[in-house]
Amino acid sequence: MVDKRLIDQLRQIVGNENVLTSKISLETYAFDASPYSGRPSVVVFPTTTEMVVAIVNIANEKNIPLMPRGAGSCLSGGAVAPDGSIVISLTKMNNILEIDPLSKIALVEPGITNKQVQLAVESYGLMYAPDPASQNISTIGGNIAENAGGIRGVKYGSTKDHIIGLEVVLPTGDVITTGNIHSHVEPELDLTYYFCGSEGTLGIVTKAWLALSPINAEVKTMTAIFGSLENAGSCVADIIAQGVVPTTMEIMDNIVIKAVDDYLKLGLPRDAEALLLLEVDGFSSDVKTQVNSIINAFATNHALSYKIAGNEQERQDLWKARRSVNGALGKLKPANIVHDIVVPRDRLAIMLEKVAQLAKKYGIIIGQVAHAGDGNLHPTLYYDHRIPEEVEIIEEACDEIIKETIAQGGTISGEHGIGIEKLKYMPLAFNKPTLHLMKKIKDAFDPKNICNPGKLLPQITED
Amino acid sequence: MKKDELLKLLMNCNRCGLCQEVCPTYKVSHIEANVARGRNRLIRLALENQLNLDKEPEVEKIINECLLCKACEDSCPSGVPTPEIIASIRTHYTNTKGLSLGKKIMYRGVFSKNRNISLIRNLAWIYQKCGINKLVKFTGIFNKTDEMLPNLPPKNVRSLLPALIKKLPNPKHRVAYFLGCSVNNFFSSIGVASIKVLQENNCEVLVPEVNCCGAPHHSAGDMEEFKRLAKNNLKMLNNLDVEAIVFDCSTCGSVIKDYKNLFSGDKEYENVAAQVAEKVQDISSYLVSIDFNKNMGTISKKVSYHDPCHGIRFLKVKDAPREILKSIPGLELIEMQEADMCCGGAGSYGIFNPKFSRDILARKIGNYKNTQSDILATSCPACAMQLSFGMKLHNLNCSVKHPVELLAQAYEIKSL
Repeated sequence: MVDKRLIDQLRQIVGNENVLTSKISLETYAFDASPYSGRPSVVVFPTTTEMVVAIVNIANEKNIPLMPRGAGSCLSGGAVAPDGSIVISLTKMNNILEIDPLSKIALVEPGITNKQVQLAVESYGLMYAPDPASQNISTIGGNIAENAGGIRGVKYGSTKDHIIGLEVVLPTGDVITTGNIHSHVEPELDLTYYFCGSEGTLGIVTKAWLALSPINAEVKTMTAIFGSLENAGSCVADIIAQGVVPTTMEIMDNIVIKAVDDYLKLGLPRDAEALLLLEVDGFSSDVKTQVNSIINAFATNHALSYKIAGNEQERQDLWKARRSVNGALGKLKPANIVHDIVVPRDRLAIMLEKVAQLAKKYGIIIGQVAHAGDGNLHPTLYYDHRIPEEVEIIEEACDEIIKETIAQGGTISGEHGIGIEKLKYMPLAFNKPTLHLMKKIKDAFDPKNICNPGKLLPQITED
Repeated sequence: MKKDELLKLLMNCNRCGLCQEVCPTYKVSHIEANVARGRNRLIRLALENQLNLDKEPEVEKIINECLLCKACEDSCPSGVPTPEIIASIRTHYTNTKGLSLGKKIMYRGVFSKNRNISLIRNLAWIYQKCGINKLVKFTGIFNKTDEMLPNLPPKNVRSLLPALIKKLPNPKHRVAYFLGCSVNNFFSSIGVASIKVLQENNCEVLVPEVNCCGAPHHSAGDMEEFKRLAKNNLKMLNNLDVEAIVFDCSTCGSVIKDYKNLFSGDKEYENVAAQVAEKVQDISSYLVSIDFNKNMGTISKKVSYHDPCHGIRFLKVKDAPREILKSIPGLELIEMQEADMCCGGAGSYGIFNPKFSRDILARKIGNYKNTQSDILATSCPACAMQLSFGMKLHNLNCSVKHPVELLAQAYEIKSL
């Protein structure tokens, strides 16, 4: 049973209407977009940094685990509430505090969604470069915690490349400000970097200074279809080798093409083995050269056909197709696991092929999309969680995918985070000294281990 | 719907959370229990016997707080039909517990019987005219709920029909006009305008003796009464020699179009319902399809348009009402943000869920205010009622009109 005094204290801090304690309401905060779930003891909705500090102080004093939460769209279980925890939902800290178009900086609260930021800065001819497929709902705080990349990642990088500074409430209750807010020059020991991808284990971001980028004058979106995943993969490596850096290079396999087309009815090529979606931007002369090199690469890699989006509607349709992948696949089976493995670009083709072989070997459905430009693959494995044998097979297949990734010189998570899902793979990806160092860093920020415990860092076994 | 069918639909939700972007109750509360993904999770737990639906009043409250606006379903990549799922659970509640007394009086006692609606309407008209309302307002006992009713017209549309319906010399079209309860009793100016506009476009207009479409009963899960009303309406609408059955109420139109699903598998009514559904037309779409008369006078006003849920998501009407508005000389159409977000009216939702209803309304009115227009147009009397209430609550001196009212006015100005 939850400590009644604790609840009273929390109510005093944030107000009655901003504390949820009933069994039913807690059920709706037990989960995120991953297959896991937990048992929080209370959910609070602070609206100021001071409130966050007061909540953290109580948790710290009473040794209660806490978890910051945004939209709860995490795919690896990062936003699954630890048992007995205080969930700090930041969805009501959702204001844009300032937009400075001259310095190209936006100051925002963590609960604002990525899309709302995009809409707000668009009128200045600016964008916030990270654009995860969940951007319509995922929050800036969550994007920072997971170091979200996105579809434009190949050209623009991930969240960590676009954060100028942060205000963070540490698990000890101290408030720090990182970064040099009025300049893009980074200090020697860059604290901002620690928080990007820390999965809510090091502190709670309460303000973020975002670096904005100009929207380029011209954009060309194109698609090409291939008779094999391998050809599509080599095409990507070729394009990059030619020195072209598209803003986007996405591969979708046949399963994904069909699922998305069922949902959107866009007339995608349903029998194509692979579809490559590309976008380039820049000044118009520059775009022309890039498009030519890409068309050459299509030819050398046996593309069956290609198309350039004729107008904005066609372009938006293609994007909608890509953004709907995660949800559209929900129809195939009641449960799924999405991986976000990364391999060097020249191994992309072989990795796509290996995953397809594994699907055959285990007799399971694996849908594949990839942010191919940065070697980030999203194999999605479908199963019925109510059938124990299926669960077992999926686990085995996942293990093999991860082993293959590491054998190809890759790593286990490009953007979804480690969360709960990939804890067991951490020792495969990092050696003991590295894991020990990570643990020491965690201890320095969170000596009592109350901040989103049980995520990201595995128990290190001594042998 | 059966339990395993429901579970199968619920399994399609992979908790991606995209419903957060469009769900009005989530937009104003930011709470997971108030969005499709949270509601679906609770229902799923119940169907998997981890929660007892009948012993958790909080779950029932959450189920009843859904507006059934369908925005989540339309943006759900897995196409989870949350409104249908919610409606099934409400039916379960109504079947096991019966309707609450308030709902029973309101739905079965009032909406089900044309005579009783008229009676109540007349009483309300007297209430508004004799000054008691000012006294009541002063005491504050209704917490402004009585202001939800629009200013009532002295007579309902049906009693005006003999004077309204003209015999046209050479009608080019023949249509049935569905006179719904709200338009008939509370917004007679819309009904009058619809008939006039249709006649102006050389349509011979029949007005069948229909009863309530059953929308309130359906949303409360009272399927028995809903079916009874639907059967009556189908009898009145079947075998009419008309090219279309025209609706100026998006709710009535979409409910009647959907009778075919209500009677799926029913030998007697399934075909009839499908035939009637074929003829259902939103009035703006119908006017556009017959290339309506563009000879009109000038209305120099700025107008913004609110999409009723039943218009944009059920009948799939988006461009037609805008086309009509833009065709009026002098009229400037200014789009508002979130034009297709529910207004929070949702039938009788506002009466049973005042907090949510008013928060959503405040957001809607805020979006409207930003357009700085003079008139808010919409194609549903239920929305019109809620939006007019919003104008009062937020002290805006702007009127709410159906596009056909403006069209009728433009025709009238021309003929002066």
